[in-house]
Amino acid sequence: MSRFFATGSDSESEESSSADEIAPKAPGTTFKQSLLLSDDEEDTKRVVRSAKDKRFEELTNLIKTIRNAMKIRDMAKCLEEFEQLCRAFLKSKNIVDKEGVPPFYIRLLADLEDYLNQLWEDKEGKKKMNKNNAKALSTLRQKIRKYNRDYETEIAAYKENPQESADEEEEKEPGDSGSSSDSEGEEGEDGVSAKAFLKKKPDASADASKFLKTAKGSGDESSSSDDEDDDGDWGSDSVGSGSESSDDGDGQGASMAMVFLKKNQEPEKSDKKVLKKKKTKKKERLEEEAEEEGGEEVEGGWEKVKGGAPMVKEKPKMFAKGTEINVPVVVKKLNEILQARGKKGTDRAAQIELLHALANIANENNLGQGIMVKIKFNIIASLYDYNPNLAAFMKPDMWKKCLDCIDELLNILFENNNIFIGENIAEDSESLSNTDQPYRVRGCILTLVERMDEEFTKIMQNTDPHSQEYVDNLKDEGRVCGIIDRLLDYMETKGSTEEICRIYLRRIMHTYYKFDYKAHRRSLGLQGESKSEQDQEESEGEDSAVIMDRFCKFIYAKDRTDRIRTCAILCHIYHHALHSRWYQARDLMLMSHLQDNIQHADPPVQILYNRTMVQLGICAFRQGMIKDAHNALLDIQSSGRAKELLGQGLLMRNMQERNAEQEKIEKRRQVPFHMHINLELLECVYLVSAMLLEIPYMAAHEFDARRRMISKQFHHQLRVGERQPLLGPPESMREHVVAASKAMKMGDWRTCHSFIINEKMNSKVWDLFPETQRVREMLVRKIQEESLRTYLFTYSSVYDSISMQTLSEMFELEIPMVHSIISKMIINEELMASLDQPTQTVVMHRTEPTSLQNMALQLAEKLGSLVENNERVFDLKQGVYGGYFNRDQKGGYQQNKGGYQRGKSDQKGGYQQNKGGYQGGYQGGYQGGYQRGGYRNQNQNNY
Amino acid sequence: MATRKESGSAPTTVMASTGGTLDSPVKQIQIEGLVVLKIIKHYQEEGQGSEVVQGVLLGLVVEDRLEITNCFPFPQHTEDDADFDEVQYQMEMMRSLRHVNIDHLHVGWYQSTYYGSFVSRALLDSQFSYQHAIEESVVLIYDPIKTAQGSLSLKAYRLTPKLMEICKEKDFTPEGLKKASIGFENMFEEVPIIIKNSHLINALMWELEDKSTVADKHELLNLSSSNHLEKSLQLLMDRVDDMCQDIVKYNTYSRNLSKQQQQKHQYLQRRQQENTQRQSRGEPPLPEEDITKMFKPPQPPPRMDTLLIAGQINNYCQNVKEFTSQNLGKLFMAEALQGNN
Repeated sequence: MSRFFATGSDSESEESSSADEIAPKAPGTTFKQSLLLSDDEEDTKRVVRSAKDKRFEELTNLIKTIRNAMKIRDMAKCLEEFEQLCRAFLKSKNIVDKEGVPPFYIRLLADLEDYLNQLWEDKEGKKKMNKNNAKALSTLRQKIRKYNRDYETEIAAYKENPQESADEEEEKEPGDSGSSSDSEGEEGEDGVSAKAFLKKKPDASADASKFLKTAKGSGDESSSSDDEDDDGDWGSDSVGSGSESSDDGDGQGASMAMVFLKKNQEPEKSDKKVLKKKKTKKKERLEEEAEEEGGEEVEGGWEKVKGGAPMVKEKPKMFAKGTEINVPVVVKKLNEILQARGKKGTDRAAQIELLHALANIANENNLGQGIMVKIKFNIIASLYDYNPNLAAFMKPDMWKKCLDCIDELLNILFENNNIFIGENIAEDSESLSNTDQPYRVRGCILTLVERMDEEFTKIMQNTDPHSQEYVDNLKDEGRVCGIIDRLLDYMETKGSTEEICRIYLRRIMHTYYKFDYKAHRRSLGLQGESKSEQDQEESEGEDSAVIMDRFCKFIYAKDRTDRIRTCAILCHIYHHALHSRWYQARDLMLMSHLQDNIQHADPPVQILYNRTMVQLGICAFRQGMIKDAHNALLDIQSSGRAKELLGQGLLMRNMQERNAEQEKIEKRRQVPFHMHINLELLECVYLVSAMLLEIPYMAAHEFDARRRMISKQFHHQLRVGERQPLLGPPESMREHVVAASKAMKMGDWRTCHSFIINEKMNSKVWDLFPETQRVREMLVRKIQEESLRTYLFTYSSVYDSISMQTLSEMFELEIPMVHSIISKMIINEELMASLDQPTQTVVMHRTEPTSLQNMALQLAEKLGSLVENNERVFDLKQGVYGGYFNRDQKGGYQQNKGGYQRGKSDQKGGYQQNKGGYQGGYQGGYQGGYQRGGYRNQNQNNY
Repeated sequence: MATRKESGSAPTTVMASTGGTLDSPVKQIQIEGLVVLKIIKHYQEEGQGSEVVQGVLLGLVVEDRLEITNCFPFPQHTEDDADFDEVQYQMEMMRSLRHVNIDHLHVGWYQSTYYGSFVSRALLDSQFSYQHAIEESVVLIYDPIKTAQGSLSLKAYRLTPKLMEICKEKDFTPEGLKKASIGFENMFEEVPIIIKNSHLINALMWELEDKSTVADKHELLNLSSSNHLEKSLQLLMDRVDDMCQDIVKYNTYSRNLSKQQQQKHQYLQRRQQENTQRQSRGEPPLPEEDITKMFKPPQPPPRMDTLLIAGQINNYCQNVKEFTSQNLGKLFMAEALQGNN
């Protein structure tokens, strides 16, 4: 378009429009090639049919379907048809032998191969293809390669000289246009109608630009919009002509159309009432169904599109010189402009321009704020409308415009206290002119701002997070927040509670993930700062915590929709957790019972929930509650899909499983980059907490047969580490943790410490915490404690006694601390020892069985269960009365088990008791067995 | 159970005597010292850890005595030569041996074992196919670990005729096994072995004994036991676990069976009642339906594996028993020695 701009003046519009005519054709040409080829075949078909055989007809039909399949990229269909074609060709072998291979057949082969190769090269497109298609593509490609080998010479000949057919096409084009395929027909007509419109368009653009120049001075904008204007115009006409062929006549006679349209003015206006209703609906739905409605309107498109097209031309006339410009006139015009909204042919950019122009006119003529507000509403709505589909995001200039508009609108609203706005005000009851009574304007500022917020999220989602652009876009966040804040003030005075809840939630959503450094610093109470500075800080605003608290509590009390409350709670928890208020966060989480029913919530809320849980876990970790941290993170981490669950990106492996539509939806759910939780941090926190829990546990239960894992993922990492044939120094975060775990297993806390906290890990993970130093200290402490525990578990069998002094030196812990840890272990019966106070030593009781004894115990346990199972078999066989063993026997075994446990827990005599248990059990069993000796023998024999 | 006595070092004769007569064509096995040495050497060179080595035994039958005069190993399998033809190799080997005038009759195979774990499905299958094809064939089980402790452990096994019968019919259902009245005790029969050394072998043995170090010679007196016992227990435990699973399976099966039986019974009763009612009303009785179709009996679990596991467990237990009794003896001996000093 800049090309036209460069050439510049209005007088050249003739040229520009002719260039225009070519422009849309250009992208179609490649496409046309194949389309026209199909025509060509038809032609040959005709010739052949008259002369030869119906075989060829069959072939051509098949070829046509293949072409169609190619057009819609349906590879599966293509493959199917191609196989049929091959079969059909074989059938007509003798004819072919007589006549030679038909040229159209060769052409198809050549084209198909080219097409497939092209598809094959297009890696992107291939990825997007669904499984079936991709599979079909590869098979078809192989097939055609093999097949084409037989026709190499013919194909080569065809490729050398495709012009022949192309020439033929040219000639045929006009005649054929209506015949084979719809799209083609459209294009053909395009050519025709476009020429017809040439006459019409220049007037329009010329008029428009003239008008714009008089109205406002912004020349460049107007001309550019002009061009677009042309485009839109053009598009609408082509659609119109495409939909109904009888329409063609109208379209061609441009001047006739003008006359006709003018006459039509009256009925159209009567139509407006109907349209209005549609409009209101649309507004409420935020134009989300803009596309849909566009679709709906296609049937009746004829009239309405007409309504859209002439609008552009009439606009200069509507404010002809001398017309008295007053409110009703402007409103009428406004409605006229809005008529075109949401229709296929409407040029949205031009519409926005028109609205702006209208706003200026209204302003110039001092028509009052009411009308201004109304126009502004519509401008913003049209800005949102600019993108026809939901996935696309706003362009930066549009975005800027949108922000400005909303700002202005808010300004007006603040300045004029007497404006009532609301979506429930009917259009009839609007009062825009009377100055003595308050203005009543239809529209909902809250919806607009919400939409703006969503647009902002969309922009952030669609910007590369590592570019400068992202930073620039992010700077707008301040403005967005400012707008939300202002609206919040406004709403607090005027809005209903629901509206206040909604705007509060918006505010919360913009606050909860931000770390409040100011408050943090204040809470630390840095004395270094001068008094005045502190005062200044305080005056800057309240803590985000206070704000969050106030808003959330309001929502808890007033909100009636469950969703807003849920979101508010989650944000509140997140905010608490982010600022290390662990107990508040935890209590809120537990009290809200969100964990029970979050699975019924919609995906965005679930994502928020996941984020909150993760933040909670990280908070617990910072506070040193390792177990809580582990539990909170377990769900997210164990799935291995943390990225997806947090809405921070899509997993590649799912690419095959979901189709493009789902992918689009999922992409829309993604959290913008600046709100991300660092995944490596998350994983590291999880692994380290798992390590601190799992390693002592493993050491304590080394011989336990029924040892369960605390963390599967951690074990997985350990196993991966063990599988390495050559173990170098750790590189990644995971390797560091694995190496640290290994060191900890040996009770070597120093090595463990050096693996967990070092330069690399600092930069990767720990420095991301706000209170880095404190976290690191906590971590060292935990490592020391857990290493001590592990050490005692692992090596207690080696010691008779060990001095606490030594232990405290070994692990650099204070003696009371060591004392407390060991006492805890003794109380929990994890360590068989006693503390000797005078000498400050731990005296081990040699009750920990040796590994052989341990095994024997395990074996006995297993045999016990084996016997029990066996018994059940016999119970079945013999009925209830005659078991293999008597009932006492079972009791005996259970006693036995009790004996084991006591054996473990008691210090001495446990073994003897154990034995007692055994004997008792056996005796009982033996006697029982003896009494039924006869039975038993029989049974055994049977068995 | 085989009792072994070692008479000096010269003609090493391992005698194994089993109570009762064997009703098989082979009552005794005579092994050339060469074969024993070759088997030991084979393991030493190729087997390590729990890997087993296998080979072919050659010899002939003289009356009721099987004389094993030579053997050769199977090459170790690697993934690289998947298309390696074993049969081809064996035939080739036997032909070559025939050329140098060595007995070339296939009379069985040998296999090393790891802590006595050899009672497995694989062994059963291959021994079955051997015995099916060559009636007198045996499997020699060589336990390198026991041998390393000082006493040569070599045992010859054959499948009992009962087991052969079952394997032939492939009927491993509980009913089938019950009918054949086969238990883990009478799956395999051990054949007594005599080792016969030629003078050349004797000379070699003398030479080897001269060369071996003192430590090697007195391995027999090693007092440590826990390592061996731990391994055995570990293996034993694994088997017990398997056994447990099998029993649970069997349990479910029998429960299902009895439940179905009950249902069948109920159904029949109801049928009968109805029929009597109908009779009293003078209507014709309901037609007979195929009951087996309505109540399909559940698939019985194969019990062969359980039997094998039981056999294996028995084997382990014997091993542990033997080992501990020996070790206890040694400990007493050591105590006595200490007391004297």
